[in-house]
Formats: sequence, structure tokens, C-alpha cells
Amino acid sequence: MPRRRGPGQIRAVIGLVNSAADGAGDEDVTPSRIAASIRACLDEIEGASPPRRRVRAYLLEALDAVHDGMPADHVAMLLYAALGVLTEP
Amino acid sequence: MKSAEGRGRTLDEAVDAALIQLGESRRNVDVRVLRESDDETVVEVSVLGGGEAAAAASATDRDEHAETARALVEQLLQLMAVRTQVTVRGSTQEAITLDVTGRDLGMLIGWRGETLRALQAVTNLLVSRRLGAEQRVIVDVERYRQRREHTVREIAYRAARQVKVTGDPITLDAMQPFERRAIHLALEGDPDVTTVSIGEEPDRRVVVGRRRESS
Repeated sequence: MPRRRGPGQIRAVIGLVNSAADGAGDEDVTPSRIAASIRACLDEIEGASPPRRRVRAYLLEALDAVHDGMPADHVAMLLYAALGVLTEP
Repeated sequence: MKSAEGRGRTLDEAVDAALIQLGESRRNVDVRVLRESDDETVVEVSVLGGGEAAAAASATDRDEHAETARALVEQLLQLMAVRTQVTVRGSTQEAITLDVTGRDLGMLIGWRGETLRALQAVTNLLVSRRLGAEQRVIVDVERYRQRREHTVREIAYRAARQVKVTGDPITLDAMQPFERRAIHLALEGDPDVTTVSIGEEPDRRVVVGRRRESS
């Protein structure tokens, strides 16, 4: 499978989080798996431009939320915010 | 269930007589009129059991929670300057389902329902602050979610029929978690086919295949 980058990668993590929240029941979604996916996004999002910094800030907040055991929707909202910054025109 | 018969000249008097016997208030009882004539009314007053009273209270709580969730979504959409009507479709112990209707709401649905799912995430966050994290809310815009669930179920049945005829597994399109769930649930009772999901989000797909006979 080709490696995803940028918005596609964040969408993949959102899908994972929603899978946990919606109870599709066909995937083993653990907090550590979600955290690892967010870390992978952080590795991809480099650069010092203000939008990139904002994306990183949201991703770091999402990572903290996973570690703190916050609800899936809380994590998803932060990821949506990161995706929004990354895809805004 | 504890009950008592009450007699009186009027309905109120008859009920009061029975309540005195039971030592109960009017809030927790069910009243059945047994006989009614010009000079006497006879009633049977039954005390609602603990379970029934709790269920009634729980239903009231659910209605209140549903109304709180509905008002929050309506306010949120107003702040977004989207003219909509928000109604409660249903409220169960598992989830409150809200319907958002209006004109040109495609932007609230987004690509493959992505925006709708984001709206649901924000809604659940807002609602969890008021009602607690365990209260789940499902937001549907123009019945998109309901229609998708119906569509994917039809796709699932069609795929199952084909698998039974050809014996070859069928990989369906990438779907959202709630859609995959609908497919798994639609075919879980079919003794001839089985469903598994493959791939990574957001390209995760359900494969419908022939169920192998256990030896």
C-alpha cells in the first residue's frame, strides 16, 4: 500500500478514531495504535511556516488527548482542525 | 404489583380512598375505572413497580437529554449561519438521533459524509459537557446517513447473492465505519456468507465471501 502523506494521512487517523467511536467492530483500534498514527503524521508535517506550525499544534494536542484517555470525538475534532488547516485554500 | 380498590361518589374520591389504603401518592400509580354510576365510582389503583417507575423516569430523562442535544445543534448551526430545522428522530439508551433538514445542506454532508461526521464529533463534544461523556448523539443531515445505511445494506445483499452463485469473494468500495457496520450487521445472520474488512482507513473495505463449512 502506498504511503500516505499530508491530508490523506490525517484522514486515515480520523477514520481510525471514527472506527472506534462508531463501533464498526471489524478493526482492533487501540489508543496506542491511534497515538502511533498521529506520531507518524507529526513526522510527515515538517516546516516552520505558520500553517504547518498550527497543524503540528493540533496534532500534538490530539496526541495528548489520546494519552489522557479523552473521548474519541475529542481526538477526532482536533484532527479535523488539523485537516482543516492543511486543506484550507 | 400492589393494588387496591377505591370507592367514592366521584372519581377523585374513589382514587383518594385507594391511595390512602396503599399509602401512595398519585405520581406513582396507574388508575383503572372498574364501575361508574351516578352515585358511585369504583376504581382499581395499582402502584407502578420500581422497574416501571424507573423506566418512566428514565424515558423522561432521555427526552430531556434529546431536547438538550437538539437545542445545542440548532444553536451551533445558527452560529454557522446555516438555516436549518433540527428535530429528534429517536432517543434510546444507546444514542440520541437528530435530523437536520433544510435547503442546500450538501455542504453539511461533504465528501463521503466527512463534514457530517465532523459535525457529529463536535456535537458529541458539546453534548458530553452538558450530559456526560456516555451520552452518544448521531447527527443525520437530510437523512443522508439513513439513506447510506439503506444503500449499503442493499449492496451487501446483492453481493451476498452473487457470492452464493459464483463462489468468488467480492470486495466492496471503501466505506465509513458506520457503513461497514451496517454491512456486517446485514449479513451476520446469513449462514452462507461471511464478511471481513481489509485495508487501512479511510480505504478500508468489506469483503463478502463464502462461509467455509466447519469440519
